[in-house]
Amino acid sequence: MQENPPQTLYWHLQAVPFHLGETIAAALLRAGIVVLGDAAGGMQGRYFCGIGNCQACLVSVDGASPVEACLTPAQPGMCLTPALQASSTPGVAT
Amino acid sequence: MTRQPDVLIVGAGPAGLSAAVELARHGLTSGLVEQRDQVGGAIYRHHVGTGSYTLVMPEHHRRRRDLLIQGLAGAGGQVQQMLQSVLIGVDRDGRFLIDNRPLGRVQSLRPKAVILAVGTVEQVTPREGWELPGVVTAGGMQVQFKETGRAPTGPIVLAGGGPLLLALAAQLAAAGNPPLAVLERAQPLSSMWWQGRAVLQALRSWPDLLEAALYTRELLHARVPYLMGWQVASVQAKDTGLLVTAQHNSGLQRQFQVQHLALHDGLRPNTTGLPVAGEGAAGCIVHAGDCREVLGAAAAVNDGRRAARQVMRYLGQPFADDRRLDQAIAAARRTQTALATLFQAPPIVPTANTVLCRCEGQRRANFERLQVAGSARELRLVGRFGMGACQGRYCASAVSALAHEHGIEFDPGALNGDVQRWPMRPVALTALAAYADEQLV
Repeated sequence: MQENPPQTLYWHLQAVPFHLGETIAAALLRAGIVVLGDAAGGMQGRYFCGIGNCQACLVSVDGASPVEACLTPAQPGMCLTPALQASSTPGVAT
Repeated sequence: MTRQPDVLIVGAGPAGLSAAVELARHGLTSGLVEQRDQVGGAIYRHHVGTGSYTLVMPEHHRRRRDLLIQGLAGAGGQVQQMLQSVLIGVDRDGRFLIDNRPLGRVQSLRPKAVILAVGTVEQVTPREGWELPGVVTAGGMQVQFKETGRAPTGPIVLAGGGPLLLALAAQLAAAGNPPLAVLERAQPLSSMWWQGRAVLQALRSWPDLLEAALYTRELLHARVPYLMGWQVASVQAKDTGLLVTAQHNSGLQRQFQVQHLALHDGLRPNTTGLPVAGEGAAGCIVHAGDCREVLGAAAAVNDGRRAARQVMRYLGQPFADDRRLDQAIAAARRTQTALATLFQAPPIVPTANTVLCRCEGQRRANFERLQVAGSARELRLVGRFGMGACQGRYCASAVSALAHEHGIEFDPGALNGDVQRWPMRPVALTALAAYADEQLV
């Protein structure tokens, strides 16, 4: 088994450990984070299909446009926020 | 990308990989677009966790995967991989638009031939509470398990219908967290008595039988209850988890307090927003693998090869039809049809409070209030059904079934509209602004 030391990303201000090669969604699940913020229509963001189809796990990475947590590789130092929050705050997207 | 490839392949699962390898074998180059950072698709998702890990999976799956990966390595530069890249649509001029996320920009390709191999959409029939966090698709739970090598922590229930539930339950059990129960809507065992023909057809597939035996042994060993004729009536958020109310066909109810509920009601080709298959002056478009017809990974490998051969014929290479490929695919179809017969189940009827469209939070009650909606177009424009980020992939068939009850007929595909519109997937404005036409020769 290759060495794969734990790395850290952030959900809001909460530190979330992960291993390189994992998706954002896998890291959040292990940390027990299942509610990915408010979503349209009074719904809540969540991991669901795992293959980029349902678009329910969209998160914003470092304030940029939303991406699917289930597809996007986790990277050290990423700051994640709910997708809706980022898109409803003009000027935040970079 | 240094030059325009002969063929564009979208999706690097079994069908896409197999097509790329076959094309390379005959001297053609391909651009292989894959949304993840590695090839293999959902079925061959790599394990990246640490520590030991057991994936209960039949040996023939492993062999097929290894052959494809070896083939890809052997193809070298003839297959240009575009990873973390997503097909967002085809523009009016026939350009295929690819959101290349590592580059942060949209690229376009206008290849002579295209093989679309983007797999399936897992069906989840709306039930009360299916929209809650903690509810996932069985396939979604499975890919995450393959990736991390760890079963989710806390109590799990699997529900819906079909053989995937058995596979996932066995895999979770082997990983040390067997589900509290598997709730199967159908009565596959009793169906066997009056569906003798289906049983015989299913028995003709030896690898599938071995696979079923492997999973059954694991479930028996872990004493996982396989409850047939049961379905999830409702899910509620309770404490820090979910309260699942299950109901038997007889009306009997039972409750489970869980952390995770995985649902699965079958698989459907993932064709939302894709250009239709066909050959014309503008080019040749082929759908391959589960994206053409849901027959599983083994058939997808054959279908990918078949798609590659069709493309080569279109490009002027003299290739006869390969009977063996056709026969293997036909055999897979027989097995799938037989399984579908054995797992036939009564429909789930959404209650007024059931969310039909999760993207927009539209419930059945909202649908019923749409007295004026007489067409798919009105259901979209007035009701917002099919207008969310998933573009109807998860709500269209349920909305279509309800509309049918109200005397409105339309194909679930009609919810997406008559005109193909892009983007099919969210794309950053910065990536669009950085668009570059890659008409390199």
